[in-house]
Amino acid sequence: AALSRRYVLCEVVSEDPRCRQCIEDRAVGLAVRDAIGRVHGDHGLACCSISFTGAGGGGLPRRGRGRGARAHRCACAPAVKYLNAYTGTVLLRCRRDSYRLLCSALPFVRQLESRNQRYPCFLHTLHVGGTIRTCQKFLIQYNRRQLLLLLQNCTNEEERRCIQKSLLSCSLTEEQSQSGDEEDDDGTE
Amino acid sequence: RRELPDGGARPSVAQFKQLVVSALRELHGEVGAALPVDVLTYEEKTLSAILRVISSGLVKLWSALTLLGFYQNRRCAFRVLQTSPFLLALSGNSRELVLD
Repeated sequence: AALSRRYVLCEVVSEDPRCRQCIEDRAVGLAVRDAIGRVHGDHGLACCSISFTGAGGGGLPRRGRGRGARAHRCACAPAVKYLNAYTGTVLLRCRRDSYRLLCSALPFVRQLESRNQRYPCFLHTLHVGGTIRTCQKFLIQYNRRQLLLLLQNCTNEEERRCIQKSLLSCSLTEEQSQSGDEEDDDGTE
Repeated sequence: RRELPDGGARPSVAQFKQLVVSALRELHGEVGAALPVDVLTYEEKTLSAILRVISSGLVKLWSALTLLGFYQNRRCAFRVLQTSPFLLALSGNSRELVLD
């Protein structure tokens, strides 16, 4: 492969529940880009090639070059490939040679900002993979484990049944790449 | 050694070090600014200095100094005359040797 990528899967952790609605691709991308700029300077920013063409996904991971023809041809591509606001899962992309710069700058992301509101949070790195597919597989297993943990902390019988149903139904099917991700049960939080 | 051609007020040692660190911070961020750089000698007249840096940081330091263009809103340039792992080698510049 000529230009390999590394995909970093992370989770946005915040004490403030209102932070969930603030999680959007532009806000997260800006926060990550800020952090890289602070920690690694201009060189780091250029290496991790984070730029915005406004094509960040609305929650669906794109396969290949699904963005269509763009007027300006930039070598870099939007860095946030996937975002799940319910679980706070973010998938970031960077070049293979500079993924260390990105990973080392992620702990310096301290707040998310959008619509003039700031919420303190931090990014918890879950997995670094070479393809979106491996990250997806990891995410499914991770979510399954999280659901099991939630099951143990369940108090309500109905929630228990709900979680068990989700656990049994999570899998990776071929036609829809998103069916493996389950939403957190907000009632047990 | 570094040499910067300048028109007006000469920077002092502390300002020189501050200049070097800020160049590193611009290009390489906090990680670059944290690179331990020592100014061993500094001559205000000729504006040349001997800097010491860990060998893994030479690339970062050199690139940061090359791309530094301004000092107090005046244009300036850094010229690297010599680099060597041994301090003694800096006392004579082999490029300036003349054959008799």
